[in-house]
Amino acid sequence: MAPEVGRSLEFSFSCRLAGGLHARPASCLAEVVGTFASECMLTNHRNRAKANLKSVLAIIAADVRQGDDCCVRVAGPDEESARAALCHFIDHDLPLCDEPPVEIAAPDTQALPRALRQTGVRCYFGTAVSRGIGHGAVVLTGGLALPRALAGESALDSNREQQKLERAISAVRGRIDTMLARQASAVEAAILRAHLAIVGDISLINDIQARIEEGRSAGQAIVEAGESFTNMLRRSDSQYIRERALDMQEICLQLLERVNGARFRPLTVELHAPTVVVAETLAPQQLLALNREWVKALVLDNAGTTSHTVILARSLGIPTLVGVKDAPRLLPAGQEIVVDANRGCVLAQAPASVRRFYEREAEVARRRQKFLSHYAQAPAVTGDCRKLEVGANVSSPGELAAALERGADGIGLFRTEMLFVGGDGMPSEEKQFEVYRQAAGAAPGRPVLIRTLDIGGDKPLPYLNLPREVNPFLGYRGARLYADHEDLMREQFRAIVRSSAFGKVQMLLPMVSSLAEVRWAKTMLARVQAELAAENIAFDRGMPLGVMVEVPAVTFILDQLCREVEFFSIGTNDLAQYVFAADRTNSKVSGLADVLHPGFLRLLRQIVDTVHQGGKWVGICGEMASDIRYLPLLLGMGLDEISVPASEIPALKERVSRLSNANCEELLSRALLCKGAEEVQDLLRHNLPIDKAWPLLDRDLLILDSESETKEEAIRELVNACYVTGRTDDVEAMEEALWARESQYSTGFGHGFAIPHCKTTAALAGSLAVLKPKKPIDWGATDGQPTSVVVLLALRESASGTEHMQVFSQLARRLMHEEFRKSVMGSATSDSLMRFLAGALSANSPQASS
Amino acid sequence: MKIVALTACPTGIAHTYMAAEQLDKTAKALGHQIKVETQGAMGIENELSENDILQADVAIFAADIEVEKRERFQKIKILRVSVQEAIKNPRGVFAKLQG
Repeated sequence: MAPEVGRSLEFSFSCRLAGGLHARPASCLAEVVGTFASECMLTNHRNRAKANLKSVLAIIAADVRQGDDCCVRVAGPDEESARAALCHFIDHDLPLCDEPPVEIAAPDTQALPRALRQTGVRCYFGTAVSRGIGHGAVVLTGGLALPRALAGESALDSNREQQKLERAISAVRGRIDTMLARQASAVEAAILRAHLAIVGDISLINDIQARIEEGRSAGQAIVEAGESFTNMLRRSDSQYIRERALDMQEICLQLLERVNGARFRPLTVELHAPTVVVAETLAPQQLLALNREWVKALVLDNAGTTSHTVILARSLGIPTLVGVKDAPRLLPAGQEIVVDANRGCVLAQAPASVRRFYEREAEVARRRQKFLSHYAQAPAVTGDCRKLEVGANVSSPGELAAALERGADGIGLFRTEMLFVGGDGMPSEEKQFEVYRQAAGAAPGRPVLIRTLDIGGDKPLPYLNLPREVNPFLGYRGARLYADHEDLMREQFRAIVRSSAFGKVQMLLPMVSSLAEVRWAKTMLARVQAELAAENIAFDRGMPLGVMVEVPAVTFILDQLCREVEFFSIGTNDLAQYVFAADRTNSKVSGLADVLHPGFLRLLRQIVDTVHQGGKWVGICGEMASDIRYLPLLLGMGLDEISVPASEIPALKERVSRLSNANCEELLSRALLCKGAEEVQDLLRHNLPIDKAWPLLDRDLLILDSESETKEEAIRELVNACYVTGRTDDVEAMEEALWARESQYSTGFGHGFAIPHCKTTAALAGSLAVLKPKKPIDWGATDGQPTSVVVLLALRESASGTEHMQVFSQLARRLMHEEFRKSVMGSATSDSLMRFLAGALSANSPQASS
Repeated sequence: MKIVALTACPTGIAHTYMAAEQLDKTAKALGHQIKVETQGAMGIENELSENDILQADVAIFAADIEVEKRERFQKIKILRVSVQEAIKNPRGVFAKLQG
């Protein structure tokens, strides 16, 4: 927002917030104005609405939307300083008061897996706004509504009523203050502060007071004022502001409760068991009042995707669906239901089969983690013995333990911005040191790459007084501002150098574009080290210094930089947006910055080659590293390390162990010659450069005594077994491929056998799986008999063709022989079945029985 | 009888070979001479030569999809059955040859 100073004490600006001046930015604005005595009046030129900037509600009512031009007139005893502060705030801080709502794509309603569809369960769709799966018994609650009028309320003494109002306001404030003191999360705090602003809102209070003066009781005045403000919010064109009506109602009801006793307060529900809270609406503080231990999911009829309740639910990790029409009527209290907020649906009256489905999904997820844990704690080494370090990207000390537990070989990126934003000004050296020391000590013997401050542009700090920029991503950020902020950087360097005494600390400089910046950092580093030596403070003299490769110009002076620093880390997100000249926050062009573009791949390869020629180390820490599909390319480039969010580490390490470095190199050289990103994508889909083929047979793929009762369940269980053992990344695609085949005619070929099969890129490896259900399953077999042995054949659709087909065709032939079937049917343990199949399928040449 | 046969199913992973095995096994049990070509995921295997076809009395197509190299069979009588039929009731298939 660019304020232009017009006549004295008047200025204009244009609103740039995507959601307009909604509750949170409005309350920030009102907070600033509230510190001055002067009156500040805003006029929105679009709709001629005027607002007292001390009133959040008045600001909201002015309905300032993105692009609206506004003018502000400041008048009063401290008008000069008020105007200056306000200009500065609108200029620098207001854009930060907004937090773009997380967009969650509406899931495809047809996407229910077959095993669920087939149960015939009643399913209601909504919009998933916070992902996850939860089940429990329905508890109906919520439903705030102000009473229309308070019968029998009369006000004999307006003074007494005014006092009642005052007491109510301070009580409600006190309650929110208490909650604020208790709630740690930034999201909760922001919402509670917005509520505080409503309680203290000058327009609201004036309105209630005026009604009391007219002879209403305090309660009646609150009801009327509440109604009027709620309607005003609901009339707004902005969805964001409409969704604040609920906050208004909640505050007014709380005031009413204080004035008139507990008569109007929706009862707080006591929860004692896993619960799905179903409500038409649920106000933010109602949610906060629930016992979170038992809230397993929320289903709301009427809640916007950007409402405060939803924002809270997301920050609390509660699976939540909104827009489930008539939810409280359709989902009676006490009923056990499942909320699948990954697929966007509620499964009502969930029969045993549905619960079994989700229990199995949870079990599969556990087994998958267990399977991967074997790989997580070992080094990631390819089949042909090439080691790749897998580090974790970490933004706060709280994430360190989880990162190491997930198998991080080091901390490949320790961001330090969290120390500088959101706090109370600049963090002291001591405070920083404490945090860095924790990081260094958490991973003994493993490298911890601490990145110095990467701030500016899109994430400015109020206390640095950075100038406003038209294009912050091409602006004053990262290492560029170090020389101008020597004190700030000296303290950070000191804190990092001191932490080097406690572990293998390495210092990483962000957004470097010149040799001069690196030399400045080295000089500062030497100065800080000399100071610390003089102070007799311990540190590691050999602490390596490194540079983030994000600015394209740097990629051409890597030979020079190799003589200055010890290591490099490629930040692919920024590098891509600079290389492609495509703003990654602009959806119209962000697609251009495709890291699979052969040009970008060539650049990465050149970076790695140049650094290695200089004898130095290079890792990658951007989003590209965490996409498992791209791993072969990164290996092929010869990167020393990839650093990813901790949750991705186990699966990446497992995949590394499957791959062949030589084949990855070969694949990369083909990718570099592709004609575009799509071609590279296709290449990756059809070529997994594995070291040696997964064995077709695997004890984990033999399921005896299966609980599956239907064809759908059995197929799902077989595919899940493939997923757990890393044979597919895409359960649903593989499942659909199998069903596509079943739709031609049943693979139940009689004699109690079925042989479902598919050829798909979703299968990463040729796989042979066997399932024997406890009770025979109806497979629609040609002889009408139920099926007691299911043999799944999954063939990888790939460029390399048909490596497993010999065995598959052999197996298919042998299934035509009764003795063979008897032996399979009769193998009671997975050991005996494994032995039998291994023997039978290896002992025969393909044409043996022709 | 001297028989040539050909099997082909849509995915070419299982049923092509199951049908081939059934025809082969049953023909031998019935005292016929048979050679079965499979057209599956591995392409054409045990391919029937011009000579094989020339010398045979009849050809059996157990195919659910278009047969490749169809032109080889211009001069021979062909019995068409579905892959499923060959798997489920191979004796029935051979019975049709007699009728």
